[in-house]
Amino acid sequence: MTDLRALYLGFLSSVLVALVFQLVELPDLLAAARPMWAPLILAYWALREPRISTLLPAFLVGLAMDVLFGSPLGQHALGLIVVVYLVERLRGIFILFPLWQATIALLPAWAIYSFIMFWIDGATHHEANTLLRWLPVLSTTLFWPLLFSVMELLRQPTEDE
Amino acid sequence: MNTLPETYRRPLFPRGPGLGLRAFLLILASLALVFNDTRGDSLASLRSGLSLMLTPVVWLASLPSSVLNAAGDISTRETLERENGELKEKQLLLEARLQKMDALEAENRRIRELLASAARIQDEVLIAEIIAINQDPYRNQITLNKGRSHGVYRGQALVDAYGVLGQIVSVGRDRSKALLITDPDHGVPIEVNRTGMQTIAVGGGDARGLRLPFLPSNADIQVGDLLVSSALGGRFPAGYPVGTVYELRHVAGEHFMEAYASPAAHLNQGRQALLVWSEDFRLDEPDDSIAGADEDLEDRPADPSSPAETGGDTAATPDGDAPASAPQVVP
Repeated sequence: MTDLRALYLGFLSSVLVALVFQLVELPDLLAAARPMWAPLILAYWALREPRISTLLPAFLVGLAMDVLFGSPLGQHALGLIVVVYLVERLRGIFILFPLWQATIALLPAWAIYSFIMFWIDGATHHEANTLLRWLPVLSTTLFWPLLFSVMELLRQPTEDE
Repeated sequence: MNTLPETYRRPLFPRGPGLGLRAFLLILASLALVFNDTRGDSLASLRSGLSLMLTPVVWLASLPSSVLNAAGDISTRETLERENGELKEKQLLLEARLQKMDALEAENRRIRELLASAARIQDEVLIAEIIAINQDPYRNQITLNKGRSHGVYRGQALVDAYGVLGQIVSVGRDRSKALLITDPDHGVPIEVNRTGMQTIAVGGGDARGLRLPFLPSNADIQVGDLLVSSALGGRFPAGYPVGTVYELRHVAGEHFMEAYASPAAHLNQGRQALLVWSEDFRLDEPDDSIAGADEDLEDRPADPSSPAETGGDTAATPDGDAPASAPQVVP
């Protein structure tokens, strides 16, 4: 039971840290390439931890991001739900891949997320049609192996107990 | 590595809706939210409640930059002395310039009085601190530390030392959100200073600054023209610099041309902004103070005031010192 509680605590704190990373001020050039932390961390949990259902948390985190960024309520929520659903659905396949292969296999998920953001922005007449918009897809892909290894390292001791 | 721990037992017959159905329902819910939020104000209270709950996260995220700022504030005696010298020189220069400005302003006032114009020379202003900048590079918004309790209202113009910065889009009790003029959602009525031509400058994002669409192809506008704010629309006080034209573009086969301008205000620099009260701000907001005064008049049993008189009363409230006294008008 305590194991499960530690698990939920870890889940919550990692999501909070991801939100903070999403908000921290960066220089303009770097901000355009900021990896999408929220989808990253939620996809990690959806992939690695079948004991936690990540769908509802994804919805709540999405709402939080909408409020923080001033976008229409539900925009980020929609993107996160789609990403988490895809990852959780295909967990059986992804879990067998070595890390580098999973990194590439997850690229479409980030692309879909970015596309949903782009699409809703367009639908709500907030068009900002620049190629830079697609840069986070690349940086998120690059950050996946890093995040995955760090999270595995952090979770090692609790798993041994 | 990939085995499940002992404590985990997957239920043989899982209960409740499946993954696909739950995802589908949540997607429907978020689509409904998006739809509702873009169509009306019905979700404003939910949004403000959530933002209150998320204040600690925002505070956490702002920690690194404030630590960096604090580190930047530590300076040696030498740099302080040098800075002091520079500031003194600059002040002398500015004082000299100010004297010239005084003379100009006096002359201007005389001429305005001659014209019997109602435009005010000295706008009322309030200094607000910029406490947050939207980190999404495609939304140019800032948060200020002044709100309704300071008399800030929706649609109020915002300027800095160099020109028009933007306008207030939402007001909380102690803070407010402003949209910058470079936001793609923002448009500002402008006047070309050289010719007096009136047009609209639309935000073009960080990269392009301002865009002046649909200019007639023979419009008299040149690279280097100064654009100033115009009083049309009543939002912005007239005469503040808005930007400088840096490119004209003729589209082959079109009847219109486009101009691009770089904003005069220093949008991504500085920590303060000036809130300006333009003279007819009462026209476009449902002013609580006036409504309150109305009710009060009608509630008074001894005074059978006719609606016409009430209207006359509200119209007679002095316009000049309105912003400063607006909170005090409410009894």
